[in-house]
Amino acid sequence: MNISTKNIKIQNEIFTLTNQRAAFWKKEKALILSDLHIGKTAHFRKNGIALANHIMKSDLERLSVLIEYFQPEKFIVVGDLLHAGDNSDVDEFCSWRNQYPDLQFYLIEGNHDKISKNLESKLCLNFKAELLEIDNFIFIHDFTKDELKFQITGHIHPGFVINSSVKNIKLPCFVVTENQLLLPAFSEFTGLDTKNLPKKGRFYIFTDSEIYEI
Amino acid sequence: MADKGISPFKFQVDTWQKFENGYSGMVVAPTGFGKTFSVFLALITNFLNHPEKYKKGLQMIWITPLRSLSKDIAKAMQEAMQEVGLDWVVGVRNGDTDPKVRQQQVKNMPEILVVTPESLHLLLGQKDHARFFKEMKTIVVDEWHELLGSKRGVMVELGISQLTKYVPKLKIWGITATIGNLDDAMEVLIPYDIKKTKITAKEHKKIDILPVFPDEVEILPWAGHLGAKLADKIVPIILDSKSTIVFTNTRSQSEMWYQLLLNAYPDFAGQIAIHHSSIDAHLRIWIEENLSSGKLKAVVSTSSLDLGIDFKPVDTVIQVGSAKGVARFLQRAGRSGHSPFETSKIYCVPTHSLELIEVAALKEAVKQKVIEPRDPQVLCFDVLVQFLMTLAIGDGFYPKETHERIKKVYAFQEMTDEEWKDILDFLTIGGSVLKNYEEFHKIVIMDDGLYKVTSRKIAMLHRMNMGVIVSDAMLKVKFISGGYIGMVEEYFISKLKKDEKFILAGRVLEVAMIKDMTVYVRAAKGKAFAPSYLGGRLPLSANLGHFLREKLSGALDPKASEKELKFLHPLLINQEKNSHIPKEDEFLVELIKNREGYHLFMYPFEGRLVHEVMAALIAYRLSKWAPISFSMAMNDYGFELFSDKEIPLNEENLDKILTRENLMTDVISSINSAEMARRKFRDIAVISGMVIQNYAGKQRSNKSLQSSAGLIFKVLEDYNPNHFLVRQAYTEVFNVQLQEQRLMEAFKRIEKSKIILKFSNTFTPLSFPIKVDSLRQTLSSEGLDARIRRMLEQARKYK
Repeated sequence: MNISTKNIKIQNEIFTLTNQRAAFWKKEKALILSDLHIGKTAHFRKNGIALANHIMKSDLERLSVLIEYFQPEKFIVVGDLLHAGDNSDVDEFCSWRNQYPDLQFYLIEGNHDKISKNLESKLCLNFKAELLEIDNFIFIHDFTKDELKFQITGHIHPGFVINSSVKNIKLPCFVVTENQLLLPAFSEFTGLDTKNLPKKGRFYIFTDSEIYEI
Repeated sequence: MADKGISPFKFQVDTWQKFENGYSGMVVAPTGFGKTFSVFLALITNFLNHPEKYKKGLQMIWITPLRSLSKDIAKAMQEAMQEVGLDWVVGVRNGDTDPKVRQQQVKNMPEILVVTPESLHLLLGQKDHARFFKEMKTIVVDEWHELLGSKRGVMVELGISQLTKYVPKLKIWGITATIGNLDDAMEVLIPYDIKKTKITAKEHKKIDILPVFPDEVEILPWAGHLGAKLADKIVPIILDSKSTIVFTNTRSQSEMWYQLLLNAYPDFAGQIAIHHSSIDAHLRIWIEENLSSGKLKAVVSTSSLDLGIDFKPVDTVIQVGSAKGVARFLQRAGRSGHSPFETSKIYCVPTHSLELIEVAALKEAVKQKVIEPRDPQVLCFDVLVQFLMTLAIGDGFYPKETHERIKKVYAFQEMTDEEWKDILDFLTIGGSVLKNYEEFHKIVIMDDGLYKVTSRKIAMLHRMNMGVIVSDAMLKVKFISGGYIGMVEEYFISKLKKDEKFILAGRVLEVAMIKDMTVYVRAAKGKAFAPSYLGGRLPLSANLGHFLREKLSGALDPKASEKELKFLHPLLINQEKNSHIPKEDEFLVELIKNREGYHLFMYPFEGRLVHEVMAALIAYRLSKWAPISFSMAMNDYGFELFSDKEIPLNEENLDKILTRENLMTDVISSINSAEMARRKFRDIAVISGMVIQNYAGKQRSNKSLQSSAGLIFKVLEDYNPNHFLVRQAYTEVFNVQLQEQRLMEAFKRIEKSKIILKFSNTFTPLSFPIKVDSLRQTLSSEGLDARIRRMLEQARKYK
């Protein structure tokens, strides 16, 4: 796995965007990502659609490599940690999470995160809320007009289409506007939305080996 | 019947006799000669001769490919029985049937039940369904030629096989129009070791083929562009006829022509209508009724009116654009002049001038009676998976006994025991034997070994998604003030911006909002897009391709009777001057360089599908020499490779590119990257239940189960590449998409031909339509990152 990074400056803070679908905030030592959709394959299996959970395993392996690389103290998931409540995939995620007892685990609730009290303790969360504020930044699942501060969001699963006379290529991306950082979906078992993206944004598209600014 | 003054045709009498003698079989007869009455009256006659053998209950199942046909067939049968004073009831059962009526049928089956392949399967998914078939004598498959080449045909085969379990002496009858492989057709329908016979009607229809010429020849034919000019020529044809069907090839084309006709002759308003599968069913029925009663002057339609009831007043058919195949052309022509001894009149309207050559080719093919075969589908595991699920939601099934029966079904005669095991594992534990997927829940094995679905939710999901017709997600279109108009594909709507206008059912509409799988619209005026639908792009048949090459070869020197070729003379001269007109033993390659970049054109005349493969193959072979990216475009006549880099091709290396050596290995390498299998997997995923189709209105509750076939394909390919559904996707690519055999034949022909390479700085008459009417895809030997970097650089340059 190749980690390619790009540093960007937002509100005088440095954020490191990676081609592995996550961002790192050095000052806070926080690894930031969104839309893990843990339990999606298990949910499919429960409903008679046969899919193995390799996909989640490879998502978590990728996450482990990122943790190894950045050595974060905080781990912030900007929503949609889970796909459809508790199931066997969630168990597996919990045992993965327990490898990092010192890592502070922050969850911003997304529309998929229906989390009961039981489930919450099982997940070993250190923090759970609809909104998290650190310095001049607000972490929230989907962009809201009600907040004036800079927002770091997920939800959309942004994708970008590069046009050329020969071929269009669709790739996942980060989108940065003057008041929003939109994160790509961390899970690879997700689609891409190229339509409902914030306007006037800069795009950071990436492949398995590189990250590019457009 | 005799007192009506109608004497039966010989094939009808033959059918009655064979049926009486206990035969199964196939009746081959053209539409309009009373083929329905051949088998139907055979049963009635048998009953009248031996009433003691008949007890109350369902006697006959009649399968039709179209829902809209069922009602009329049932009506015709009911009337016929009334005439002989028989008190049997004919019931219709399909997706349009009132749930109340359906319940009544379950309690008390009519003697004759008219169904679609889908509704037959639904019947087999009912609890305790064996009781319906206790008295059944025969199953009849109408329009078998329409079902044969598709997965719906496999559904019919499976359905019949299940019925033979309940009715060991079942008589199986098929009714078909003439196709190129009638014996295969019968073998597929009746693979069983029982008495069977083929009965062919001697009668056939006379057909007049009349080309419609534009006023002048365009030197560069532009696909679809001729329309506006020719509408004026069509108006008088419609006015001179009692009633006309205007056939187009796609829904967007039909919307466009409806507008064109209205613009050309505003008095048509209220007298003409538009008919295609995306239009509201009620409106369609209304149109069909008014066409039958002669109230409509003309209907613009797609293949939605290819089949179906006899529209007696229709005396003229107009075909817009290419009919793509001889069989299809004959079918459409047969829609006019319906009574047995009338002549069918069909006008051919070219959408670009080159299509006039096709008219000449069609005439020749009809004269020589060369009709395409329909190749049956085999080893469709997705359909089998669905069928087994259907049995499992009903009474369940025992694998061993079911396997014995499935092995006899034509489509699965080559299925290995291992494949059967894979399918059972897939349904019960999700994966292969070694890997039991946690929490997987589909079919449960009961204590006595019965395979059964126990979850109500899974049974319901299955019932809702049964069938093998896979469409793109469709959205309902409604007026914001209320009132349903029809359906459009999500793909099309997703490209529209708010307040942009589109055309549906002949109306200009403006998008107000999209909510819950429904597009709310307002009526609007002015310029608008016709929806593009992904389906409906049929390729040219091999037979027609052959005749096209023949006609083109002699095009500069036409016979006196070949008006079409004479008319095209200026265009042909232009082609000859700028490039070349290929003779029958020649193969033309054009290299065109212009401002845009470098274009390579080849003209095999093998139809769109084969060209798609050839284009990928040639691109792959070229890209082995140097890193280069191509976009590909194709039509039925030829294909284009386009690149922004110079294409390293010359007279010396041309034959290396076109060699038959390593043909299939190269094809496999080229399609892997071209992602054909992934596209094929879309249907397979839906049919086998891996992807839940989002139906209008019902989508909400299943939102958390939405995923794309592309994603699932990626997961399976990455982690379970030997999955039988993935393998099926590749097999389908080979059989259906690649048409391996046709490809081999084409390369054999090219090898024997003289290859002619021409250079030009402008588009030639042959190349221009490809350029314009393009269906594009890409192949590249550059790495993804290299490509992105180059694209970004280019984008910067243009800024």
